Amino acid sequence: MRNLFLLMTAAVLWLSSCTGRKVQDLSDVKSVEDFRGHSVAVPMGSSYDLMLSEIDGIEVVRLGLGELLVAVEKGRADFCIQDQYLMKILDLESRGLTSLFDNILPGTAAAGFRKQDSVLCSQFNAYLRDKMASGEYDRWKENWLSATDSMASVSFGIPVHGNDPDKRSLKVGVTNIYPYIYLNEEGITGLEVDLFNRFCFSAGYQVEYEVNEFTALIPALNSGKIDVILSHMRKTEERAKQVLFSDSYIEGGGAAVCRDWNNQDRKNRPGLGKRLKESFNDNLVVEQRWKLMVDGLWETLSISLFSIIAAILMGILFCRLHMSGRNVVSKSAGTLIGLLRGIPLLIILMIMFYVVFASSGITGTWVTVMSFGFYYGAYFSEVFRTGMESIDKGQWEAGFALGLGKFQTFHKVVLPQALNRIIPVLKGEVIALIKMTSVVGYVAVIDLTKASDIIRSRTFDAFFPLILVSVIYILLSWLVGMGLDAIDRKLTPKSRQS
Amino acid sequence: MIKVRHLKKVFKTPGGDELAVLKDINCDIEKGEVISIIGPSGTGKSTFLRCLNRLEEPTSGVIEVDGMDILDRKTDISLVRRRMGMVFQNFNLFEHLTILDNVTLCPMTLLGKSREEAEQKGMELLGNVGLHEKAGCLPRELSGGQKQRAAIARCLAMEPDIILFDEPTSALDPTMVSEVLGVIRHLASRGMTMCIVSHEMQFVRDVSTRILFLNDGIVYEEGTPEQIFDNPQKPVTKAFINRIRTLECRFEDKRFDLYGLFGKIHTFCSKYGLGIKTLEKIQHITEEMLCGIMPFRGPVTLLMEYSEKTSRLCMTFIEDNAKKGILDGVDEDSLSLMLVRGMSASLTEPQNGVVSIEV
Repeated sequence: MRNLFLLMTAAVLWLSSCTGRKVQDLSDVKSVEDFRGHSVAVPMGSSYDLMLSEIDGIEVVRLGLGELLVAVEKGRADFCIQDQYLMKILDLESRGLTSLFDNILPGTAAAGFRKQDSVLCSQFNAYLRDKMASGEYDRWKENWLSATDSMASVSFGIPVHGNDPDKRSLKVGVTNIYPYIYLNEEGITGLEVDLFNRFCFSAGYQVEYEVNEFTALIPALNSGKIDVILSHMRKTEERAKQVLFSDSYIEGGGAAVCRDWNNQDRKNRPGLGKRLKESFNDNLVVEQRWKLMVDGLWETLSISLFSIIAAILMGILFCRLHMSGRNVVSKSAGTLIGLLRGIPLLIILMIMFYVVFASSGITGTWVTVMSFGFYYGAYFSEVFRTGMESIDKGQWEAGFALGLGKFQTFHKVVLPQALNRIIPVLKGEVIALIKMTSVVGYVAVIDLTKASDIIRSRTFDAFFPLILVSVIYILLSWLVGMGLDAIDRKLTPKSRQS
Repeated sequence: MIKVRHLKKVFKTPGGDELAVLKDINCDIEKGEVISIIGPSGTGKSTFLRCLNRLEEPTSGVIEVDGMDILDRKTDISLVRRRMGMVFQNFNLFEHLTILDNVTLCPMTLLGKSREEAEQKGMELLGNVGLHEKAGCLPRELSGGQKQRAAIARCLAMEPDIILFDEPTSALDPTMVSEVLGVIRHLASRGMTMCIVSHEMQFVRDVSTRILFLNDGIVYEEGTPEQIFDNPQKPVTKAFINRIRTLECRFEDKRFDLYGLFGKIHTFCSKYGLGIKTLEKIQHITEEMLCGIMPFRGPVTLLMEYSEKTSRLCMTFIEDNAKKGILDGVDEDSLSLMLVRGMSASLTEPQNGVVSIEV
C-alpha cells in the first residue's frame, strides 16, 4: 500500500515535469501571428479564444483562468494569453516564465446588465462618470492594479452595507479574475468589486455576490439568476447582443506569456521539501485560504449528505413505482429512470439551474441536492429493485402464510435480507455520488473542488491544491465506505450457536 | 371447518391463453381429519392448497372457514392465515434469522407474546421436532430435513387449527424424507387437522383419514385410503394407483417405420426398468403382430400399458372400424401366431378388432 502510494506520487511528479516544445528564438515572437505552429492557452470563451480560433495553424488550448500559467509552466501549451496587468503583478521569473509582448486585442471591460435593466445601468454610468471626473476612480485603479501579491489584502476602506430589507438587493455574478475580482479571507474583493460596492452604497442597493464559471454568467444573467455580471468582461459585439454593457472602466489587453527558454537555469530552484512548504504556505496559509477549503469541504459534505438522503427517498419512490403491478405506472417509471440515467449529471444540473429553477430563488445548493436526488435516485432505484427481486418469492409467501401483513412481511422478513444485498452495491454508488459533487461549481456552489479552483486561480499552482483535494476525497470515500461496511456487518445474520 | 364450493382457478399463460387449473372443486374438511390430496402432476394439487389460504387468488367459487367466507374482500385474510399453518416444499425459512428467531418472530409480532414466553415455547417446539441443539443456527447451516422440521415448528408456534402441507418432502434427499414424515405422522397421531399434498404414497395411505384424488381440475375420486388404494373405481385413479405407464403408437398402413418403433419401445423399457429379455419379447411380438397377423384393413393403434405396481405388461392392438375379428382370419397353425402365443402369457380378442396380449 505504502509502496503503491510512493509509486503513484513519483508518477505524478514525473508527469508534471514534462516539458513543452522549445520556442527557438523568443525575440522572433512579436505578435499573435507568430504563434503559428504553436499551441496557445487561452481562457475558455474569452475574446482571445475567438480571435485565435480564426488564425490558421494555431492550436488553441481552452482552459480555466487558473490553469493558463500552469499549462505553460508544465509544457501543456507553448504560450498563454493573460491579462497584462495581472502579468505585471505576478512574479513570472520565479516560475521560469516571461512576458513577451502586451496589448493583445486591446479592448475595454465593463459591467454587464440585463437588457431591460437600463435604469440601473445608467445609474451606474452616472456614478462612474462622476468618479472618473473627480479622479477618485483612477486612484482606486492605481491602488488595485499596482498591488503586488503580498499587497493583495490591502484594504481600501470598502464601505460596509447595512442589512436594510427595503433596499433592492442586486445579485452579482462574478468569476475569479485577480486582481479585478477575487476571494480572500474577507470575502469577495478586487477592483471591480470595490467599485461596485461603492456604487451600491451611494445608490442604496444591497449587493450579493455569486461565484460562477465565466461561461455560465451570460446564461445566468438572461435567465434572471443574477442582475449584474462583474467579471472583467470585454465588450464585444456578440456579447452586446445579449448584455447591456455599462461605460467601460478598464482598458487593456492581454500579455503573451511563454517559458523563458533563455533562462532555464533551474539550479536555483529550491528543494522538494522547501517547495512543498512554500506551496502549503501559498495555497493554505496566505489570506487564510484554508478557510476557503474548509468552507468548501463543509459544502461538499452537506451536499453529499442531503443528496444521499434525497437519492434514497427518490430511489425508494422510483423503485416502488417501477415494481408496481400496474403496467402503465411501471413502464413510465422505467422510462423516467432510463431518461435520467441517459443524461449526463452535469447537463441535468445545468438544466435544473438555468432552465427549470432559473427564476425561482432556490440556491445552487438545493438545486444540486434535487438534481442529485433525481439522478442518483434513478440509479439507487435499480439497486433497490435488484435487491428486492433477489429475495425469493417464498420468503413473502412464508410471511403471508404465517399471518404477517404485507408491510410486516416487508419490514421483518424481506427488507433485512434485501438490505444485506443492497448495501455492498449501494456503497459504490454512494462513493460515486460524493465524488460527483465536484461538478457543482457549475451552478455557483463553492464546494471543495471549486474552492481548490479558486485557490489555483490565485496561486497558479496546480500540484498542491489538486493533490490535497484528491486526498480529502479519498478520505471521505474511505470513511463513507467504512460506515456502510459497518452497517452491512450489523445486518449480516450471525449464527448464535455456542 | 373448511367448506369449498365450485372453486375455480384460471391462470393466464404468457402467451395470453387461459389455463384452467382448477375447474370445479368441491370438498369439506372437518376438524381432526387428515386429508391427502393426490393425483397426476399438473392437476392443481398445490394450487388448490394455496387457494385455501389465498396465497393464490381463486378466480371464482366459495371457500368458507368456520362459516366465514375468506374470499370476501372484507375478510382480513391475515387473521385467517394465523390459524392456518402452511409448510412449503422449499421450507421458506427466514434466511436472516436463527432457527429460534424463525419460530418466535410471528408469535411475538402477531400474538403479542413476550420474548421469554415465545422463546420458551419455541424451544419446546424445537425439542419436539428434534432440533433443540440447532436453535441458534441459521437456516443455511441446516440440512434439508432439519429445515423442514424447523418450518413445521415455526408453523406450530402459531398454534394453528389446521396445517397445510405443500409437498413437504419433494425437495428432500431420499435419506431425509423419513425424518420429516415422522414428524408429520406424530402430529397426525395427536389429532392435528392437516391437509397434505404428497407423492409419498405409502405415507399418504398410512396417515390419511380421507384421500382426494384430483384430476383435470376436479375432485375425480374421493374416499378412505383403503377405497382409493385397494379398490379404485375410476380408470384414471386406477392407472395412477397402479402407476400404469403407457406407450401409444398409430400406424396408417403396413409400410410403417418398424425400426423407429423399436427405438420407442427400447426407450419405454429402459425408462421403466424392463429387462432386456422383456424388451426382446415385446419387439418380437410387435413385429409378428404388425408384419404378419394384422391384416391392416385400416389404421392400427398399438397401446402398451405397464403397471409399475404389479409389474404387469399388456399390449393391445386395435384396428379402426373392424367388422370382423382379427384372429378369425388367421390360421391357428400359422408360424406367426404360434410364436406370439409362445411368447405371451395370454392372447385374447375380447371384441372384434382388439387383440389383447399379456406378456
